[in-house]
Amino acid sequence: MITLLAAILLAPAAGALLTGFDRIVTARLQGRVGPPLLQPVYDVLKLFTKGSAVSHPLQVLVVWIHLLSVVGSLVLVALGQDLLLMLFVLALGSIALVIGGFAIRSPYSQLGAQRELLQMLAYEPLLLFLVVGVYLRTGSFMVRDVLTFAQPLVLTMPLFAMCMVMVLGIKMRKSPFDVAASHHAHQELVRGLMTEFSGSTLALIEIAHWYELTLLLALLALLWATPLAAGIAMALLGYAAVVLIGNVCARMTWRWTLRLGWHVGVPASIANLALLYAIR
Amino acid sequence: MQPVVPLVVTLVLLPAVCAGFCLPRGGDRIRPAFVAAACAAVAVAALMLLQLGQGDFTPTSRLWAPLVAAGDFTLLAFFVIVGLLRRQFPVVLLALAQAAGLAWLEVAMPHAVEAGPTFAVDWLAVTMVLVVSLVGPIVALYAIPYMADHEKHGPQVDGPAAAAPGARSPRFFAAMLLFLGAMNGLVLANNLLWLYFFWEITTLCCFLLIGHDGTPQAAESAWRALWMNLVGGLAFVGAIVLLAGAGHPLTLRALAAAGPAPAALLAPLALLCVAGFTKAAQMPFQGWLLGAMVAPTPVSALLHSSTMVKAGVYLILRLSPALHGTRLSLLVALVGAFSFVTAAMLAISQTNAKRVLAYSTISNLGLIIACAGLNTAMALSAALLLVIFHAVSKALLFMTAGVIEQAIGSRQIEDMEGLSARLPLTTAATVVGILSMLLPPFGMLIAKWAALEAAAQSPPALLLFVAGSAFTVVFWTKWLGRLVSVSSATPPHREALHPLYRAALGATAFAAIALSLLVAPLTNGLVLPAVRAWHAGVGLLAPSLTVGSAAGDFPVGLVFAAVLAALAVPIVWMRVHPPALAVPYACGEQVPASGRLRFRSARDETPEVSLGGFYLDGLFGEARHTVWINAVAVTLLLLILIETAWRIPS
Repeated sequence: MITLLAAILLAPAAGALLTGFDRIVTARLQGRVGPPLLQPVYDVLKLFTKGSAVSHPLQVLVVWIHLLSVVGSLVLVALGQDLLLMLFVLALGSIALVIGGFAIRSPYSQLGAQRELLQMLAYEPLLLFLVVGVYLRTGSFMVRDVLTFAQPLVLTMPLFAMCMVMVLGIKMRKSPFDVAASHHAHQELVRGLMTEFSGSTLALIEIAHWYELTLLLALLALLWATPLAAGIAMALLGYAAVVLIGNVCARMTWRWTLRLGWHVGVPASIANLALLYAIR
Repeated sequence: MQPVVPLVVTLVLLPAVCAGFCLPRGGDRIRPAFVAAACAAVAVAALMLLQLGQGDFTPTSRLWAPLVAAGDFTLLAFFVIVGLLRRQFPVVLLALAQAAGLAWLEVAMPHAVEAGPTFAVDWLAVTMVLVVSLVGPIVALYAIPYMADHEKHGPQVDGPAAAAPGARSPRFFAAMLLFLGAMNGLVLANNLLWLYFFWEITTLCCFLLIGHDGTPQAAESAWRALWMNLVGGLAFVGAIVLLAGAGHPLTLRALAAAGPAPAALLAPLALLCVAGFTKAAQMPFQGWLLGAMVAPTPVSALLHSSTMVKAGVYLILRLSPALHGTRLSLLVALVGAFSFVTAAMLAISQTNAKRVLAYSTISNLGLIIACAGLNTAMALSAALLLVIFHAVSKALLFMTAGVIEQAIGSRQIEDMEGLSARLPLTTAATVVGILSMLLPPFGMLIAKWAALEAAAQSPPALLLFVAGSAFTVVFWTKWLGRLVSVSSATPPHREALHPLYRAALGATAFAAIALSLLVAPLTNGLVLPAVRAWHAGVGLLAPSLTVGSAAGDFPVGLVFAAVLAALAVPIVWMRVHPPALAVPYACGEQVPASGRLRFRSARDETPEVSLGGFYLDGLFGEARHTVWINAVAVTLLLLILIETAWRIPS
């Protein structure tokens, strides 16, 4: 019960702080002072005070499904449940958001939705392979068994850790992967998938994003679960890498993302899987 | 008399008799009554068979065996004659080759048959009978209003408009009912010669139904379906001849009991698997199922859900105990997994809804066959769950595709844009169908979860499973996105739906949801008893409202509750904070108050916004991929034949 509450309350707090940290670092790299650390929280609170205008009632539905499925995935991890099931619940949330983008007859929104779908095609296999890799090493899909596994997984799963950083970059909508809904309104995309979300619906997406960030970092941390402090340090290192990459890279195309996923990520995952089969 | 006898007779013979009653031309008014009566009877008989669970039945009269043989030769003679009349020489040759094989059997081995019961009821057979006799009748009832409309308007899509087919309904409903009876016979038969007889009847019904409209396109597709399925029939005859030659009893039970198969049995087993691949339209035999979509949509709904393709996977599932522990089993898994991933990939590039559904069927059947090939208790449990849930969801999706086609006159996904405003009921059923193929907490996903957990032991299958799952998400979500894409100005529309359509769509949509919630009882009551008959290993565990494996856990009840909550929260939220409706943003260039979304363009024109989906033909299209896919698939088949052929003792 306590872990459940901690997951539901602390995860978004951690996500918000990390997002605020990202904004400060990014500002410093660009020679600006940057906003206060809690700016993402202020933003969300302000969004809730705004009126809610949608182009399609379905938007409200999908935003809630998106948020609750991310929370559900995190709860599954916190309760030590099945990792494959967690991925499916997470995919439900991503698909819901894509459907929200498709529901609106706006070119920007639909373009964003199509690209989001292709990004899913790029990262879904990597996440599935990661979970299978964890199973091969620990003999279980359950998080609770991974947490008690004696050795750090990352020693035999280094390429999976690399792939997770890639997934993190795509999921956080960082350059070079910000093709579906970038943080900055680009000319041809406006804000893509998110163009038509405003006020409270946008605020809910932001909160879901905080949860998702914590969830993905928790997955990365699972690769070094004993001691967990080492895993958390590794996850934060991965996060810092994504922030850095986001700041020094230009935005690429969805084709490039898809190619990276299937020509680099998938072979790397397979190579690491082969290693795991070999040492079994 | 054993209680099983009247049930088998009702399930197999009664539809065939009612099919005869459908044939008189004048009986337009009474025909629906015959169809409904046959449907009700087989459904009740199937449920009674579920109560019974098992039993054997051998017809006592000595007349039956010659009658079945005569039936075989009559069917083959029919294929030869129509093949000669229409100059379809591959069909003629394939039918003649089968006839030669059967004739050799009759002459050289007249007593090869006499072991074991003719019909054997076990839990696998009961599961299949339930799928055939509960889903099939719903499709048959749906066909009544569909064909009435179809006869009025004729085939209205894609190809050149043909003349209305006239009063061809008698033949149509006769073939449909015969099909159901033959399918029941096929899954109940233990004797391979009977099984082959029913197998060929399904081929015949499929040929008649695909060619129903009589357009050149329909004829071409029907002939293709015929020759491809006759390849399977020939493989079947080859297997029977080899088995009889080796002195092996010609029953499924004897084959299953022989596992792991001795070297002499591998070749006939491989041939039977090839026969299964043709029926299940696995690569490289996908062509016939893709062509079959020219038929009236109830035909597709029947072929893809409860009959025909399920016969193929049934045969392979049935043989899995014999394959256990052989290299052939792994090769079967590879054929299935390869079809799973390639069909899902090609589905992304398809613009025609029925073609997307066809590729999805090939893909899912591939997954089932892959699970049969993996051949662990867990994989086989997953396979059976997939058979059940796929039948329900695919029947639903094809029936909605048919309703949509009659309402909008198109099968193109692009023409379905914003259908949720135009046909709210049908779209809701379609959405349930798509979601039930794709997302938690629906049964297909629970079964896929089980399949993935089972595949973790087998690297090549696993790789293909993961890739296929990723493609599957893309093509379903794209379609879903087109359906709900509506501009806010569109007022909701009341949809008039024929009561039988309403009942058929409602029943299957309800079944898709209810069966998913009840997956644990379903597993305990049907799937596990079937799997335990072949495998001692640990399959899916299913305590109340949750399923699990040795290494994982899927709390179905909990996930259901969470999804319901996720639906309830926003509905309450919208009551409290009703959102204002806005016009989509168009960079300040939209033309205000125009009702539809228009924007200011070059030269002061104000075109309407038009949208389209990605199909990525260059990346995932048939033109780019079909050749190598067929080459790889043929290579896999050759590998299977080589692997088994050199072990035949000379």
